[in-house]
Amino acid sequence: MPIFNSGFFWFVEGILCCIVVLGIRAWALDRAIAMPWWKWLAVGMWALFTGFTIAFVGTSLGEGEPTAAVQGGIMFGIVAVLSGVGVWRLWLIGAGPREKQAES
Amino acid sequence: MPAHVRNRRSPKIRLAVYLAVLVALALALRYGRTRAAPDLTVSIRDIFPRADSIIRDRGVFRVYADSGLLIGWAGSGQASGYGGPMLLVTGIDTLGQIVGARVVEQRETPIFWRMARPNDLLASLSGKEFDQIDFDRGRVDGITGATLSSEAIFASVRAGVVDVAAGAFDTELPAQERPFEFGLLEIAVLILFVVGIAAQKARGTSRQRIRWATQIAGLLILGFWKDSPITLAKLVAMLSGFFPPVKTSLAMYLLIAGFLITSFFWGRNIYCLYACPFGAAQRLVGLIGGKSIKLPQWSVRLMEGLRNLIVFAAIFMAFLTLQPALASYEPFAALFSLNGTTLQWILLFVVLVASLLIRTPWCDFFCPMRTFEVAVQDLKVATRKPQQRSSDG
Repeated sequence: MPIFNSGFFWFVEGILCCIVVLGIRAWALDRAIAMPWWKWLAVGMWALFTGFTIAFVGTSLGEGEPTAAVQGGIMFGIVAVLSGVGVWRLWLIGAGPREKQAES
Repeated sequence: MPAHVRNRRSPKIRLAVYLAVLVALALALRYGRTRAAPDLTVSIRDIFPRADSIIRDRGVFRVYADSGLLIGWAGSGQASGYGGPMLLVTGIDTLGQIVGARVVEQRETPIFWRMARPNDLLASLSGKEFDQIDFDRGRVDGITGATLSSEAIFASVRAGVVDVAAGAFDTELPAQERPFEFGLLEIAVLILFVVGIAAQKARGTSRQRIRWATQIAGLLILGFWKDSPITLAKLVAMLSGFFPPVKTSLAMYLLIAGFLITSFFWGRNIYCLYACPFGAAQRLVGLIGGKSIKLPQWSVRLMEGLRNLIVFAAIFMAFLTLQPALASYEPFAALFSLNGTTLQWILLFVVLVASLLIRTPWCDFFCPMRTFEVAVQDLKVATRKPQQRSSDG
């Protein structure tokens, strides 16, 4: 699939990353959730890993390796989803009980 | 008695279902076993393209060219792999050099069969003197992750070579004694069961702590280190009459014996509760999720019924084709050794993500061991005296 080999794919992925970071910041500020550096580090690492997972699937498809795309996507996808839930729970540390209840 | 094990249908209906299942499986196994034996001469002609006539003599095959000239011998050998016995035929020329070897029949899981690289292993033997081959290489190549398969390939070739050596060259090759494997894995299995049984006397938090400790040990040892949980393929191989050598598969026998004995006599399946690595993985994922959704009873029963149906279909197909590896649908190898079919990977994804929200979904809705556990519990109930049954009920 030529789209995965084009600069457009990376352009879209970059935009998505920026939206995610800005969105998280706005969301946390709205709810007065503390945002120390280690939470940003965890979110950043998770975002990088998730981006890598998407890139892995995309580039594998681009190289004509659908099996690698599926198996690698699932393998890294599992880690991304599980760590995403873990990071989410980490992020809610310091949030008030009402925010926690509302968000979970 | 756990809720899933509790009788929900009348004993007569349950008995009828069990009988129907047993008859269907017995018929499938009988059909699978009555298939025609493989024709070895096809493989021998493949090894010796100049072969015209092949005559069986003193346990080996004498291979003649169309001129009537003897061009070599061939011997067949069988050894036990992961999914059952495999049959290979090995050709040796009149100078005592191996011409080639072919796989006639094998029952390995496709992924592990590919990992064993049978073509490379067999090609490496060509041109070598039959009495100069280091057959222990099968054990060395076992590090590829397909230990049983690669060992069985070499053992099958060796069995064929031994026959040809004795029948054609009047040479007795030294017996290859396999050492009895009793190492850390076997000790760990015994400890897990002993601790699991002892934990039955503990209460509350202590029992939970012990369970976490044994499950994490099981995850590391039986899972990521040895990738040797009980699988349906191994059970089906045994039910088909393909018993792996005790010397090399002691841990598997201990696990299965422990599962059956504790389920029947203690009424608690210690393997699933205290040793199963995949159960531990789901519980750890459940910790990340933090919450557990309680599913409606009707959906639990529906999923349990589907699980039993899947297990029956898997065993039926494996018996019918006499290919135990066909029954292997568990995603264990995908998690523990990163090898699996696309379907197994998808199943692993679904199960682990579901574990975030539902308590051990694989154990309740997919695992064949739960079906066997229910069957063992039912057998226990059926073997009790009537007054005991009524007092329990």
